[in-house]
Amino acid sequence: MKRAERVVTFTVEQITAYAEPSGDHNPIHADADFARSVGLPGIIAHGMLQMSILGCVAVEVAGGGAHLRRLYCRFSGMVEPGDTVTFTAEDAGAGKLALSAVNQRGEPVLTKASAEYL
Amino acid sequence: MGVEGKTYPAVTSVIEPDRVAAFAKAIGADPADGVPPTYAAVYSLGATAPQLFGDPEAEVDFGKLLHADQEFEWQRHPAAGETVTSQGRVVSDISRRGMRFLTYETNTTTVDGSAVCRSRTLFVIRS
Repeated sequence: MKRAERVVTFTVEQITAYAEPSGDHNPIHADADFARSVGLPGIIAHGMLQMSILGCVAVEVAGGGAHLRRLYCRFSGMVEPGDTVTFTAEDAGAGKLALSAVNQRGEPVLTKASAEYL
Repeated sequence: MGVEGKTYPAVTSVIEPDRVAAFAKAIGADPADGVPPTYAAVYSLGATAPQLFGDPEAEVDFGKLLHADQEFEWQRHPAAGETVTSQGRVVSDISRRGMRFLTYETNTTTVDGSAVCRSRTLFVIRS
């Protein structure tokens, strides 16, 4: 079965680089003091940045972005700068992809992730 | 409950090539491969979520907002330079044990109305 994997160590620079074009300027992704004031350990990566990297591996197995018909995930774990996440996509047959995103401690950060392609 | 069923005015936006390239680079995609599918976070969800967040009636506390899950379904992927129209709607608004669960759906079409993408988001607002 076809499979793709990408291992990403998140950095403040990448989170900042995503914030601008995405238009998601929630200060929990940019301002550590603000993030701590709402109970977070510090700034965290955008869920959509994680999902977009997952989308990249899904596209790789699907054979191009134009083939992707559906993408779903639940944002289950926080990703902080310095965390390393392994994103995988595997062809599950019948136009479906099995997807996962697991951090360096073995904890899934995106769950129930799946995709469909044509 | 709350703003369940509320629909916001449609928003028209252009898929800007420079912004697409910056987005692709930030997620580790090759900008030469065109518009990444999850750029729907910009042209679909991103185009309409500010209406919900800025709606006094919806009373969304941005600092307590969590993006809990996300689904995109595409009928077709837009190209850079294309103009699309997106309309957001609150599918459900439920409060349970001090937490608020807002399901927000955005339907994106071409300007002549043919289907492009449907975005479905669960926001959780902590108490």
